[in-house]
Amino acid sequence: MIDVVTGFAAAIRFEGVTKAFGSHVVLRNLDLLVPRGAITFLIGRSGTGKSVTLKHIMGLMRPDSGRIFVGDDEITAMRERELRATRNRFGMVFQHAALFDSMDVFDNVAFPLREHSRDSEAKVRSRVLDLLASVGLKGAERRAVSELSGGMRKRVGLARALVREPEFLLYDEPTTGLDPVLAAAMDQLILETQRRKPALTSLIISHDMSAVFRIADKVAMLRDGAVVVEGTPQQIRESSDPLVVQFVSGSLLGPIDASQG
Amino acid sequence: MEVGRVATLAALALANLPVRPFRVRETIRLIGFIGVDSLPIVLLSGLFTGAVFTVESYEAFRLFGAQGLVGGTVGVALTRELAPTLTGLLVAGRAGSALAAELGSMRVTEQIDALHAMAVDPVNYLVKPRVIAATLSVPLLTALFDAVGIAGSYAVAHWELHLSDPEFWIRLRAWVDWADIEAGLIKGTAFGFVIGVVACSRGYHTEGGARGVGLATTQAVVISSVTLLVLNYFIALALAEST
Ligand SMILES: Nc1ncnc2c1ncn2[C@@H]1O[C@H](COP(=O)(O)OP(=O)(O)OP(=O)(O)O)[C@@H](O)[C@H]1O
Ligand SMILES: [Mg+2]
Repeated sequence: MIDVVTGFAAAIRFEGVTKAFGSHVVLRNLDLLVPRGAITFLIGRSGTGKSVTLKHIMGLMRPDSGRIFVGDDEITAMRERELRATRNRFGMVFQHAALFDSMDVFDNVAFPLREHSRDSEAKVRSRVLDLLASVGLKGAERRAVSELSGGMRKRVGLARALVREPEFLLYDEPTTGLDPVLAAAMDQLILETQRRKPALTSLIISHDMSAVFRIADKVAMLRDGAVVVEGTPQQIRESSDPLVVQFVSGSLLGPIDASQG
Repeated sequence: MEVGRVATLAALALANLPVRPFRVRETIRLIGFIGVDSLPIVLLSGLFTGAVFTVESYEAFRLFGAQGLVGGTVGVALTRELAPTLTGLLVAGRAGSALAAELGSMRVTEQIDALHAMAVDPVNYLVKPRVIAATLSVPLLTALFDAVGIAGSYAVAHWELHLSDPEFWIRLRAWVDWADIEAGLIKGTAFGFVIGVVACSRGYHTEGGARGVGLATTQAVVISSVTLLVLNYFIALALAEST
């Protein structure tokens, strides 16, 4: 299948996915296409199910109905063991970092390599130290996770997701909580990572519209559990849809009521 | 529901035994935590359990003028019953709670999701080493409980009750045989396994934040303690039938 926005082949595809927690329906017949070899941004209000969407791609959550594909493989039909093989192709940055607090910074980033590669400890070391430097954490490798700031954790999580150079990268708000300079540096790192590997598929959840306009190839907006608007950043910027206009400008006036959950 | 979850996790952990990586280092670290770190409380409890049981039974036997039976009685009660059961309860309280809290907080902070996301099986990485460590630690602690319990009993018999050494040791040797010690160790092994799988299961399936972790911790201790006492009866029954 071809993504109409970018003209690229589909890497990840949601087909009519519905997910509810009790009576609270979060994803409602969601169709979503994430193109291969591009950076896609998933935007939408807080609590609309962006993180839930990401967890479905990794098989961390199962839909109530609908199907999800990675390439031609149907994630939703896989058993745990097959899922593991697919997950091996992914890197994921969790919204709250999800670092192992029993390990220091270095061991957190080295973890995926030590688990899955036969690289020598020297090779692991140089790879991890390089990555830590590129996320601005030079010299922090022996710090305990519990003593890091929120922004530092986020960057350790980013380094951990990148360490194995996966085919798919899922970022859940990679720059939220970072100062503007660091945020720009992380956007740059995401962009460079994408450029270095043309077949890489990046899916980024973000509330940072300036990043969307700077590095996105495709943008999809989630509302009420479905994609309501999608297009190139250019199309989003020029859209006259009141929903989009209000969201992008951060205005209180428009169809979105800030007091409604 | 709960039984199903625990049984499923137990089966998964057992099926994972031959699966690489074996996590030997992590298992040794956990034996340190579950076993070695429990030594002080187990030794102290063993010493005083042996001592108090000697004082109490001495009083009863004296009524029949049969003080000489004390050593043997205490020996059998300790090795078959008191050592495995009390050790199991102590380890459930001390280590079972900590294991459940650790896994529970990993669950609510999405560290277990992160393991899945990195294609690492949490059963292999977290559950297997903990279950093995608990299963090995409890029988070893039980054996030590036996030893210090008998030492405590002898100390009281000798210095407090002034029993002669032959009176104490002859009956003990005659009554306590390998089958008693073995029964205690079999129980200890089973109790260790129960503590390991119940604690891991409660932690692994934790829901809701800090409160959920607290609940998982309490439940791990309560469920494993009660299970252990019930299981104790059935193992005793099975052992009685097999002899
Ligand atoms: N494990 C869960 N159990 C119950 N409800 C959940 C669970 N996970 C998410 N939800 C609900 O699903 C909805 C969407 O959550 P999600 O975390 O995907 O939001 P989000 O779009 O990522 O928001 P934010 O931008 O604030 O991170 C929320 O209403 C949340 O309460
Ligand atoms: Mg989120």
